[in-house]
Amino acid sequence: MPERQQRVQALYEIALSIGGKETLTDTADTALAGYLRKLNCSVGGIFRATDEGYEPTATIPADPTDNSLLATAIDRLAEVSTDELPIHAEPADGTHYYLFPLPEFGVLVIGKQGGAIDTATQSALTPLNEKLAEACRNKLVERQLREQRNRFEAVFDAIPEPIANTVGDDGTERIIASNSEFDRTFGDTTEPPKTTVASNLADADTESAGHNRPINTDESNRRITTETTCETVDGTGEFLFHGVPVDGEQAAEYIHLYVDISDQKRREETLQRYERLVENLPIGVYRTTPGADGEFKLVNQGLVEILGADSKDYFENRPVSDIYADPEDRKAFSDQLLEDGTVDNVELRFETVDGNQIWGEVSGIVTETDDGPVFELTLQDITTRKERDQQLDVLNRVLRHNLRNALNVIDGNATMLENGLDEDSDELKRHVEGIERRVSNLEELSEKAVTVRSLFDQGRSTTTACDVQALLARVAREFEDRHPEARVVVDAPEESLYVNADVRLKMALSELVSNAVVHNDRSTPEVKLTTETVTRDGEQAVEVVITDNGPGIPEHERQAIETGEETPLQHGTGLGLWLVYWAMSLLGGDIHIDDADPGTRIALRLPRVGADTHPQYDGGTEMAVNSGD
Amino acid sequence: MECVYSSATGEELRSELTTLGSRGDVAGLVLLATPSVDVTNGGFETTLQSVPVPVCGGVFPQVIADGERHDSGLLAIGLPNEPTITVVSELSEPDTDLDASLPAGGSEAAFVFVDAYAGPDGVESLIDALFRTYSVGLSVVGGGAGRLDDDGPCLFTADGVIEDAAVMAVVDRPIGIGVRHGWEELAGPFRVTDADGGTIRELDGEPAFDVYKDAIETNAEATLQRDSFFETATAHPFGISRLDGEPIVRDPFAVDGAAISCFGPVPEGEFVTVLSGEPDTLIGAAEQAADTALGDETVAEDAETLCVFDCISRQLYLEDSFDREVSAIDTDALPMVGALTIGEIANDGTGHLDYYNKTAVVAAVSTDA
Repeated sequence: MPERQQRVQALYEIALSIGGKETLTDTADTALAGYLRKLNCSVGGIFRATDEGYEPTATIPADPTDNSLLATAIDRLAEVSTDELPIHAEPADGTHYYLFPLPEFGVLVIGKQGGAIDTATQSALTPLNEKLAEACRNKLVERQLREQRNRFEAVFDAIPEPIANTVGDDGTERIIASNSEFDRTFGDTTEPPKTTVASNLADADTESAGHNRPINTDESNRRITTETTCETVDGTGEFLFHGVPVDGEQAAEYIHLYVDISDQKRREETLQRYERLVENLPIGVYRTTPGADGEFKLVNQGLVEILGADSKDYFENRPVSDIYADPEDRKAFSDQLLEDGTVDNVELRFETVDGNQIWGEVSGIVTETDDGPVFELTLQDITTRKERDQQLDVLNRVLRHNLRNALNVIDGNATMLENGLDEDSDELKRHVEGIERRVSNLEELSEKAVTVRSLFDQGRSTTTACDVQALLARVAREFEDRHPEARVVVDAPEESLYVNADVRLKMALSELVSNAVVHNDRSTPEVKLTTETVTRDGEQAVEVVITDNGPGIPEHERQAIETGEETPLQHGTGLGLWLVYWAMSLLGGDIHIDDADPGTRIALRLPRVGADTHPQYDGGTEMAVNSGD
Repeated sequence: MECVYSSATGEELRSELTTLGSRGDVAGLVLLATPSVDVTNGGFETTLQSVPVPVCGGVFPQVIADGERHDSGLLAIGLPNEPTITVVSELSEPDTDLDASLPAGGSEAAFVFVDAYAGPDGVESLIDALFRTYSVGLSVVGGGAGRLDDDGPCLFTADGVIEDAAVMAVVDRPIGIGVRHGWEELAGPFRVTDADGGTIRELDGEPAFDVYKDAIETNAEATLQRDSFFETATAHPFGISRLDGEPIVRDPFAVDGAAISCFGPVPEGEFVTVLSGEPDTLIGAAEQAADTALGDETVAEDAETLCVFDCISRQLYLEDSFDREVSAIDTDALPMVGALTIGEIANDGTGHLDYYNKTAVVAAVSTDA
């Protein structure tokens, strides 16, 4: 075969090996093998030009350092510029290498042992090399696109929220790709999730896209962002929907991202409920900055109403100290709260918008925010209570001083009147005795009123443990001494029982025993004091039971005590039972009145406690459980 | 290299191989068996396992020992250096990553035997993998193993008998290689317009058989008949040209309709010529291959053995004259061993590695490690 024909044939066959294969490496590898086979060459490589130099795309042998000829050619490649190509060199006798340019891609290196490639063939390779360069360039672009796609797909799958790629087709939208979270949430489907427009968007500038997806379109960039409710595999869910258009020839292609905001929405709803609750509380709730002046950060409607403001706007840019009757109180309060971190029931005087002073009870805490500490406070209007306290103080003074002084005067005058009467003035003496008896009753009533007042002075509840058995024994002894005609017995187990109580329990017991003895019509009044352990609301309680053989408590008095109310038509004759009622109420207990046969059974019920769980008060220095003194 | 030809079987063969393998100057064995050796017999595997050195080999139509052809018995070639034995499996599976199966480079030479019935694509894949991995860094000689009348398992190592595979014995010993065939262009070139693997369906857009028949009958004093296709075709193989070298020979062995089947792949799109060869020319080429091998500077004066892998179809074509080819290769100075293979594998240390047909491959093995 003529040499020229053989060359053309070989070049044609090399051309057959040049073309796009699956990858850039395959493309380069196949072409390189074709070059070497048809040119009967032993080594070669295709190198891609990069900013850092030449990077091998394919070499034969696989490790170019295994062959000295190829290694020499590669070394030369690193030294030459593209403009110097092609290059032919013979580093040793009969050993040749060739560096051919691959335009806009890199360089083809061919090594031949045992002879050279003739000049005509070298020249004839140029168009093949250009074809090879083009194939490699195309594959490189393909590879870059594939890598980009792989990265996109990796991100697509890694996003923990449902995401889908959709295309619009004849007015409908279908999913062409979705991540696993999307399939898990909405199912494996080609249809976008069925959605409903969120109520707060119903009036917005929205339009249907014909695929059940609410669209709030920004015409400038065709992006969509909206809250929506979607049908999911598990029911429905709240989502923040993002629709991002994909630039390309298919204008209707979108990336759909669904951020599940169901929990967030639930939290918002809960928060809104709390906000409504706070807003409608009959007390003031507000947040301020610390300091002598302070700045309002939040107020509720309750504070607006307490201070008689028109609206919350009143508090904007107004120092907090303005609502204090004495602005100095604000500084002291702020200092105390900053120091303690919390305050409870601090009574302060405030000034309403109209300039009226009111009493407020303030509680609050300090919380830390990004902007520093803030006070979160509640304010309760206690003006009415304070006024009632004042009235009680006045009445108490009247009872303790004015009334008693007057009674002393009446009593003294009655005594003098009685002393001045003749011995035969029996009828007048009876009148004087009546006066003295009534004065005595009024004095007792006055004393009892003072006692009642003392009940409240000690506040609610107590943390001291009281040995009920010891208390009953002491009360019984006192009454036996005071009323030897009466029989007061304690019928209780020796085991100690403890309740949280102080002297008020003894006051209540003494009042009941006294009533049972004094108002008893029997020749020998009998009073029995017993204890029982009962369960109340799942908690253990102690019942102190006073049973007498008297005539019983009048029905109207019993009803007043049991309902806690007196009316002009339904009231008691004194303060005794009220004293018992208030004492028990303040100690956290209650009272039950029942008929006995004969007489009355009254049970005082208090929560049972352990002797060692509370500080114990003995009224002195000894650490002993108190017995109600 | 210590080489032993044996016609023994069973225990006797086992004893001979064990004895050879136990010699101090033998670190590995390459076994070239003829079809008379039943390698699929369990006893043969036991024999392989009893050999105290690494072993591999294959079954070939004939073997050459001491300059003579044998169609029975077994030739054992003792390698003075321990070879690295590698099995490349599942050649005909297109997804097999052959490159990953090959041993690391760094050695001098390798004897490679491939199952000739692994199909043209399988053999071609192996050749490609070898060349891509080693290029000329590894001198490769060998050929296709198998029986002419049977495509059963024909390769083996100490691990057993295998098929659809290749075995390699990589050695650190330089060899000089000569590759020649002596076939010359008779007609063509013809463009292969429809082919698949080793099957040519069309040449120049015409039925391949018709074009081939016309080429022969026009240019040679021969008539091509379907029922005696092989007898005529063996004298007229196809040649795939390459620059600066003899064409690669493809041996047609069967016709089915218009399609002609060859040993080895014939790429679609490439050009083939129809070749012819005079016995003297072929024998002369074989002698040149031996001269080239012996003249290789890597072995220089150190050659101690000639390993010949000549094509069985050259013997079928040359018939009695083939013994003259063997004699032409043989030099009295060196022992000559080898096999008649179904296709040959070689690179000459300078050019491309290929799978040949109807070609004489001669390797001069050096004494120096």
